[in-house]
Amino acid sequence: MGAVPKPPEGHFSVLYFASASSFTSKESETLPAPLPLRKLFDTLEEKYNGIRDKILNSCLVTINLNYVDVPEPDDESSQAVIKEGDEVAIIPPVSSG
Amino acid sequence: MNNEITEIKNAGCYVGLTHDLLNLNDVVNRVRSPQAGAIVMFAGTTRDNFGGKPVKELQYSAYNPLALRTMLSICEDIHAKYGLISIAMVHRLGTVPIGEESILIAVSAPHRQAAWRAGEQALEDCKERVEVWKKEEFEGEDGVWRANRDGAAGQKVSEAQSTLDQ
Repeated sequence: MGAVPKPPEGHFSVLYFASASSFTSKESETLPAPLPLRKLFDTLEEKYNGIRDKILNSCLVTINLNYVDVPEPDDESSQAVIKEGDEVAIIPPVSSG
Repeated sequence: MNNEITEIKNAGCYVGLTHDLLNLNDVVNRVRSPQAGAIVMFAGTTRDNFGGKPVKELQYSAYNPLALRTMLSICEDIHAKYGLISIAMVHRLGTVPIGEESILIAVSAPHRQAAWRAGEQALEDCKERVEVWKKEEFEGEDGVWRANRDGAAGQKVSEAQSTLDQ
């Protein structure tokens, strides 16, 4: 997957690869922004029941091509926020070669 | 998509992603040099079974911009570490029929020892880090997304990097 269209105003895009794409039956979608990063997995779990245990717990996350640490959902000290226009990606364990 | 970036070149490093058949000569020619005493090329090919179970074909997908960025970072590190003249790494995407190449890596160096070692490390680093995913398609059942670190949970890049240094 390459260039993804800009998300509409007030939204960010999230890209799904490999097992994450199979689980959601999507390659990408847009979600309302801003969203605290610690709430990302909860938001996805609400839409896709079971995705946290089956997929997300073994995935990494990038925002605008940079890897980020996803804080625990109850970590209210975390200031990280997904902003309008951001490109978030769910990165399952890789298997090139 | 026309605006999709499929290759990056920088100071003796070339990385690419393509849906086309890989050409061994093209990749070797990218690293050919009068200063080279050795060119080592690795070709990864698609195997017809997984643990004895017949595989029909393989499907590769990628997060193109991030995969290219990671490939370039690996090539730049190896270029510097082994004193290479040049390094090229190309990965095929989409359907790769059994027996065809899914990845080619070519390195050139003044002497053979550095070329051998650099070629091996380039492939290991690629399999560990590059954001490309392989799905094995079996006869008569659903495909399976493979993980090079099968059974292992995802790892932060910083941790993955320190693992590589060991």
